[in-house]
Amino acid sequence: MKKVKWQNVWLVGIFILLYAPIFYLIFYSFSSGDNMNGFRSFTWANYQALFVDKRMIEIVLQTLLIAILSSLCATIVGTFGALGIYETKHRRVRNMVLALNNILMVSPDVIIGASFLIFFTFLGLGLGFGSVLLSHIAFSIPIVVLMILPKLNEMRPALVDAARDLGATDWQVLSKVILPYISSGIFAGFFMAFTYSLDDFAVTFFVTGNGFETLSVEIYSRARQGISLEINALSALMFVFSLILVAGYYLLNQRNQAQKARRKRKAGA
Amino acid sequence: MQQPMVEFKNVIKEYDDVQILKGIDIALEKGKFYTLLGPSGCGKTTILRIIAGFTNASAGNVLFEGQKINDLPANKRQVNTVFQDYALFPHLNVFENVAFGLNLRKVKKAVIQAKVIEALKLVRLAGYENREISELSGGQQQRVAIARALANEPKVLLLDEPLSALDMKLRKDMQYELRDLQQRLGITFLFVTHDQEEALAMSDEIFVMNEGRVLQSGSPVDIYDEPINHFVADFIGESNILPGKMVADYQVEMVGKQFECADAGMKPNEAVEVVLRPEDLDIVAVDQGQLVVTVDTQLFRGDYYEITAYDADQNRWLIHSTNPTQDGQQVGLFFEPEDVHIMRFGESEEDFDARLESYEEED
Repeated sequence: MKKVKWQNVWLVGIFILLYAPIFYLIFYSFSSGDNMNGFRSFTWANYQALFVDKRMIEIVLQTLLIAILSSLCATIVGTFGALGIYETKHRRVRNMVLALNNILMVSPDVIIGASFLIFFTFLGLGLGFGSVLLSHIAFSIPIVVLMILPKLNEMRPALVDAARDLGATDWQVLSKVILPYISSGIFAGFFMAFTYSLDDFAVTFFVTGNGFETLSVEIYSRARQGISLEINALSALMFVFSLILVAGYYLLNQRNQAQKARRKRKAGA
Repeated sequence: MQQPMVEFKNVIKEYDDVQILKGIDIALEKGKFYTLLGPSGCGKTTILRIIAGFTNASAGNVLFEGQKINDLPANKRQVNTVFQDYALFPHLNVFENVAFGLNLRKVKKAVIQAKVIEALKLVRLAGYENREISELSGGQQQRVAIARALANEPKVLLLDEPLSALDMKLRKDMQYELRDLQQRLGITFLFVTHDQEEALAMSDEIFVMNEGRVLQSGSPVDIYDEPINHFVADFIGESNILPGKMVADYQVEMVGKQFECADAGMKPNEAVEVVLRPEDLDIVAVDQGQLVVTVDTQLFRGDYYEITAYDADQNRWLIHSTNPTQDGQQVGLFFEPEDVHIMRFGESEEDFDARLESYEEED
C-alpha cells in the first residue's frame, strides 16, 4: 500500500477549508431561489440582474478607479519614501521613520478610519470621492515602502558609486540604475496597494459620504438587508476576475523568462 | 619634471574624529602603474575614493593635472574605477554595461557600438555583447568591469582590489593582462591591494601604507631590497629581522658577531635592525659559513624549500633553498655584504633617501 503523506493531506485540507466558502457562494449564484437555503434550479437570472443594476456597475467602476488612482499615487510617494529612508545615514532617525511606517501597517483599520474621519471633518473637507482616495493613498504608502525597502537594501552601494563614476548625474543614477534595480519591488508594492484598496472596508466605511460608495461598503449594506443572490453573482465574477489577474501575472512572468532564455541561447550560439 | 596627473598635498581624512589618512603626499605621473599596498584598514581604499570623488578629503588639496578638484563631483572627473565586487549593473547585459558611460554622454550610436566592441576586444571578451551579467564567471565579470571603465577613456584608472575574488591561477593571468593593458594604453593605473606579490609583479611604483600614512614609496626592487623599517620589511616578502648595532660604517654587529654590510651614514654604535632575505642565505658546509645553525623544519614549496633553523642563541632563521637538507643537521650560512640591509629606528623616508644617496655617490 502506498504510504499516505500526511503533509499533503494537511495541505489539501487547508485549501478545502479556504476555498469552500467561496465555491459555496458561487454555487448559489446559479440558483433560482432568493436565498441560500437549498439549491432550486440553474439560472443566469442573478447575473442578468447584476448587469442591469446600474448602481452596482457604477460602484464597481468607482471602486476600480479608487484602487488604480490610490495605488498609483501611493506607489510614487512610497517609492520616494523608501528612497528617503534608504538614504538616511543616521541610524537612529532611519529606524524611527521605519518604525512610524510599520506602526501604520499594524494599527487597526478602525483606528485609522476614525482618525481620518475626525481629521477630514476638522479640515472641513467634504466626505466622498476625495476623502476616500486620500485615505486609501495614505494607508497604501506604508505597504509600498515595505515592499521596496528590501530591494534597496539588497542593492550594493557600489552600484551607485559605479554609475556616478561613469558620469551619471543624481537623476541619472536614480532613473538608470536604482529604479530599474528595484522595479520588481515597485510592481509588487503597486499590486499590494491595489488589492488593499480594492478590499478595504473599515477605513472606507468611515470616510465615505453620501453618494459615494465602494464595493465592500455596498455589499455590507446590502447584506444587512438580507443577502440577495445578486451579491453571489458579483462575488463569482470578482473571483473569476482575480483568477484572470493571477493567471495573467503568471503568464507574463513565464514569457519574460522564456525571452531571457531565448536571448541566452542566441548569445551562446 | 612632468606635471603629475594626480597629486595629494597633505591630505587628511577623518571620520568621527578618527583619522583615516594622516597627511598623505603622493604624486602620480602620466602612464605609470602605481600600487597602494597595505593591510586592510590602512586607508588605501580611502585614497582611491577621494581620487574618484566618492568621498571628500577633510583637509589638504587634491590636484588633477594641476587643477584643484577637492569639490568636483565624481561624475565630472576624468577618472574611472574598477570596483572590488565589480559593481556591474545586473539589469543590463554586457554591451549595455560597457556602453553605460558613453550613453550618458550622448555619444552617437555608431560610435558607441565601435567603442564597446573595441573595449571588449581589449579585455578579450569579443562576442560576449549580448550575454547577461549573471551568465558570466567571476573572471569574465572582472573583465567587463575593466572594459566598462576603459570605454570611458579615463586619464587615470583606479582599481580597488579587483583581483581579490579570483582564484590563484586566474589572478596570475590577470596580473599579466592588466600590466600589458596599462602599457598598451599608456594611461595611469592606480591599483589597490593587500597582496605584496601582486604589487611587486605589476607596479612601476609602490606606495607602502600603514595606519593612514605612506611609509615608503619606490620601485618594487627598491622597496624589496631596501625596506625602510620593520613593518615594510615584514610586509613585503619574508625576511629575517634581527636586532643589531652599527659598529662603524659598513660594519654591523648582530647575534654576537660582526659582519660586513653595505650601509653607512649612521652614528657609531647606533642600535639598528638588520634584514636578511631568506633567499639571500646560502647553505654551505659548517666550516665555510659565517654562522652555524641547526635545521629545525623544512617545507617543500614547489620552487624552493622553506627551511627554519636556529642558531646557538636560539635566533630563528628562515632560509629559502633550492636543495633540501636534513632536519636536525648543522649547516653553515653564507651571505654577501650586499645582502645585509640595515634599518634605523624611526627614520623618515626623506632622511632614508638622503642617507642612501650620500654614500652611494661616494662609491
